[in-house]
Amino acid sequence: MQPLKPEDKKAALENNPNAAPEDLQEYERLLALRFTRDPSNPGNAAPFAAGTEDDLEERLKALHRKLFSPENRTASRGA
Amino acid sequence: MSVVVNVLRSGDNSKPNPYTIAVIANPALETPWRSSIFVGDPILNSLAAFQAAVVYIESNLFANLPGQKEKLLADLSIQPKVRLVSIFDDTLPADTGTSLVGQDDVSNILVARRDAFAPHLAKYSIQADVAYAVSASPSHTRASAWFTSDDDTGAGVAFTLDGSEFSHRYNYAVPGTVAIHATASSLTALHEFGHAASSYTNGAVHDLYVDSPTGLNNKVGRPIPPSFADYEGTVYKSDLTRDGLGYPPGWRSFHCELLDPSCPAVMDNYFLSRSGALACQHDAITRRFLRDRILAKIGRP
Repeated sequence: MQPLKPEDKKAALENNPNAAPEDLQEYERLLALRFTRDPSNPGNAAPFAAGTEDDLEERLKALHRKLFSPENRTASRGA
Repeated sequence: MSVVVNVLRSGDNSKPNPYTIAVIANPALETPWRSSIFVGDPILNSLAAFQAAVVYIESNLFANLPGQKEKLLADLSIQPKVRLVSIFDDTLPADTGTSLVGQDDVSNILVARRDAFAPHLAKYSIQADVAYAVSASPSHTRASAWFTSDDDTGAGVAFTLDGSEFSHRYNYAVPGTVAIHATASSLTALHEFGHAASSYTNGAVHDLYVDSPTGLNNKVGRPIPPSFADYEGTVYKSDLTRDGLGYPPGWRSFHCELLDPSCPAVMDNYFLSRSGALACQHDAITRRFLRDRILAKIGRP
C-alpha cells in the first residue's frame, strides 16, 4: 500500500481536530493489514491483532468516520 | 475503439512461460469495491495517459528514473529475462469480468480485484506473474497490492528461513496484483512490486511504515534482538533504530538492516527520505529474497 505523504498526514489531522495522530496510525495499520490476508485462503496470513475480518472492517469504518467525515469536521470547528 | 497490446520487453523467448509483468489499462471500476456496481474507468479515455503511466512503471521497475538507487530488476541476470507487456482495450463492457480495480469506501485506496486479472489476461493469451491495473479514478489515487498466492502443489527452488523450509514456487495460483493510479510517481510502482512479487505462503513483504505483522521483512517483539533472520545460512542483522525514522513508541514490529542506513527502506515510507525517495533501497533481506524469488521463476522449466 502506498505510504502517505507527510503533507497528506498533516492535512488529515488538521482538517479534524478531534482526530489524534494515534487514530491515523491505527487507521493506516488496519488498512495495510487487510492486504496481509490471502483472499483466496484466509488461513494464509499473519493473525490479525484482534478479531475477525468483519471486526477489522468495522474498526476501519469507525476510524474513517472519525478522521474524514465532513460532519465530524464541521462539529469540530464549531466546538 | 482500439485494442493496443505492446510487448515492451520480450524477456526470455526461449521459455514457454517467461517471467512476465503486465500493465493493463483498467477497463472498469467497481464503485465502491465489493459492491458489484461497475462503471467505465476514465483511463480508457486517454491512451496517452495510460502510455505515460506505462513509461513511469517501466522506468521505476528497471531503475531508469533519474537518481534511482534501487536496481533490483536492472540486475543483468534478471533484466533481459523479464517480459513486460501493456494492454489498452477500450472495446470492453464494464462488468465483473473486466473490472480490475475497486474504489475502497473507507479510504482513497484503489484495490486490485485480483481474481479478475488472470482470466482477463488470458483473453490476450498472456500469463503474468505480476500485473498492474492502471486507473484514472477521479476520487481514488492511492495504490495498493496483493501478494502472490503461490501454487504450493507445484515445484520451486527450496530455501530456508530461520530453520524452516520454504520454496520460491515457479508458478502461482493467483498472480501478484497491483492497482495504481495513472498519476503515480516516485517509488510507488517499485514499492507495490515488492508486495506483489512476494508470497502469502513463502515470504510476505510487508509495509514497514506501520506496525505490521510478522513476514519476510518484518518481525514482532521487544527488545529488538541483534539478529533479524537467518536466510539460506546468512544471518541478517536487525535495524535497531529504524535509521532516520525511529520506531514509534508502542510499536512491536522491527525490521532488517538497511543497505543504506541514511534512507528508509523501499517498503517503508520513502516519502520521508531526507535524500529524496529515489535514494531509497530495499533492506538487506528483502533485496536478497526478491532477487532469489525472481531468479527461481526466471529459471523455471
